[in-house]
Amino acid sequence: MEEIILKTTDLTKKYQSRAVVDNLNIEIKKGEIFGLLGPNGAGKSTTLNMICSIVRPTAGAIELFGKNPWKQKKEVLHKLGYIPQELAIHGSLKAWENVELFTSLYGIKGTALREAVEESLEYVGLLERKQELAKNFSGGMKRRLNIACAIGHKPDLLIFDEPTVGIDPQSRNFILEKIKESNRNGATVIYTSHYMEEVEAICTRIAIMDNGKVIACGTSDELKRLVTNGSEEITLEEVFLTLTGKKLRDYAE
Amino acid sequence: MIRYLIKNNFKLMFRNKWIIAVLVLAPVLVIAILSSAFFDLMKSYEEVDVFKAGYRIEEGSGFDVGIEAVKEAGKEGGITLLEYPEGEPEEIIKNNGLAGFVEFGQDNYTVYKSADFKMEGIMLEYFLSRIMKGYVDNGLYAKMQETERIELPVEKPEYMPAVDSADYYGIVYIVYFAWCGIICAANVLSSEKKYGIERRFQVTGVSSFKMYLSKWIPVVFVVSVGLAFTTVLTILLFDIHWGNAFISALLLLLTIMASSAFSLMLYYISRNIAITIIAVFTSVWFMGFFGGSFETYMYSVWSEQVKRLSPIYHADRALVEISCMGKSTYTQSCIIYMLVIVVICSVIAVTADGIRKRGRA
Repeated sequence: MEEIILKTTDLTKKYQSRAVVDNLNIEIKKGEIFGLLGPNGAGKSTTLNMICSIVRPTAGAIELFGKNPWKQKKEVLHKLGYIPQELAIHGSLKAWENVELFTSLYGIKGTALREAVEESLEYVGLLERKQELAKNFSGGMKRRLNIACAIGHKPDLLIFDEPTVGIDPQSRNFILEKIKESNRNGATVIYTSHYMEEVEAICTRIAIMDNGKVIACGTSDELKRLVTNGSEEITLEEVFLTLTGKKLRDYAE
Repeated sequence: MIRYLIKNNFKLMFRNKWIIAVLVLAPVLVIAILSSAFFDLMKSYEEVDVFKAGYRIEEGSGFDVGIEAVKEAGKEGGITLLEYPEGEPEEIIKNNGLAGFVEFGQDNYTVYKSADFKMEGIMLEYFLSRIMKGYVDNGLYAKMQETERIELPVEKPEYMPAVDSADYYGIVYIVYFAWCGIICAANVLSSEKKYGIERRFQVTGVSSFKMYLSKWIPVVFVVSVGLAFTTVLTILLFDIHWGNAFISALLLLLTIMASSAFSLMLYYISRNIAITIIAVFTSVWFMGFFGGSFETYMYSVWSEQVKRLSPIYHADRALVEISCMGKSTYTQSCIIYMLVIVVICSVIAVTADGIRKRGRA
């Protein structure tokens, strides 16, 4: 039986009376690259924030590695690498210092820390630029540094919240390749993006969220069949628009 | 675990060179301006040596029993009190060349001051307020009703330190700027919030207390180093005397620890660096106003009770008295006050952070 890394049961988050995430039930198995798609305000980031114990759910339960992250916080969180949508790095610190700072918070120190930092920077192709201040980096380099800061402690579950926003195709390709490489090395990945072709290219399973609920979940082909019954060629973007509609979404999460 | 966080927070604060420059140089500028502006005024305090004042005691007044002790204390402080049972105070002052006149009532007193002896008038008023405080603190007022002779707890006239303007403002503005040290952490705190670094910290599971320490320790260190430079610079430029260097450094360090804890507490409550800085600067202005940062605490009209509420008053007074008299009765209260602020503000800050995380969470 495949190991379940993440399981949510009727997971709900309400702000005042509005349910941002509404009775969400998902299961992610070890070794998957799980894509989470949805228009703005669908509840993707709130879901990720609840998984990472940044936001406490209003109702429902989360099981990470078979444990409650709110009760065994440190134990669970140390197996998790979170790459936020924002460039959560200090511009006035050097690349090395940024990675050292975040990696050390997982209890790694001394030689092990130095090695972990070096490996992380090498992994994202920034080792040669380790002594440069992050504020002098290009958008793509900052995105890569953002990733390096979350992988030093070798997490089992990597959570990417739109990691390729606003970068050139080369950097995007590099990041996607690295995500696949991490997965091949044993990490389970949760990935959110607005770029359908990215999600289709790397994710083994995709959930489409709208109004806080999962409205469809499966492989890319399964989702396409859901809409066309396999009768015609269709892109993931067309599936997405068919399921979520074409109306503009102006929510703020 | 937080060693690296502390180390990198140091670096972030030190790399903000403009802020450090402001912290180091602003006090030098203020000290130069104020010590020069108040040089003549404070010189006149020192020049006041011995002066005469008149008094009258209403029949049946509670002060009757203690007047000899008051006269004795006055003599030690350079104030000769002479009794004038009859006549208008204004006339008595004018006709006898007195600096002032005191009318003791049943349980109160009124001070008349001469326009020709302003400084002496202030000193007379201050002397009497200290004497009255001694009465109240030692329960002597009640005893006056029962005994024929009392002794005031005034051994030496230490209530009026002879301090020049450079020493006074050179000390109090180091203290004042120590309370504004949070500006060193402004960039760290604002970027942590702005770029979502706080949330990233949350995912590591590091406790609120450790996160608090990782900010408090660097702020204390950076402000201490910055103000140490300022102190050396002002000693070289204005020849400021600090008296006992060890005790003064200890009091200053405790002040910085307290001010950092106080400012971080405001930040953890507001979660907004702009609001924090406004709140810190406003509170520090009030603390300084009552504590002797603008008007010298010796001649301030505010009651001792009000002044004692200000932590800046305790630090200013202890440091100024150590500078010019070698010791201060306020050293102990300053140490206790600062330590209490550190503990209480730290507990509030950590609790506020915990509540916020649980609330968000």
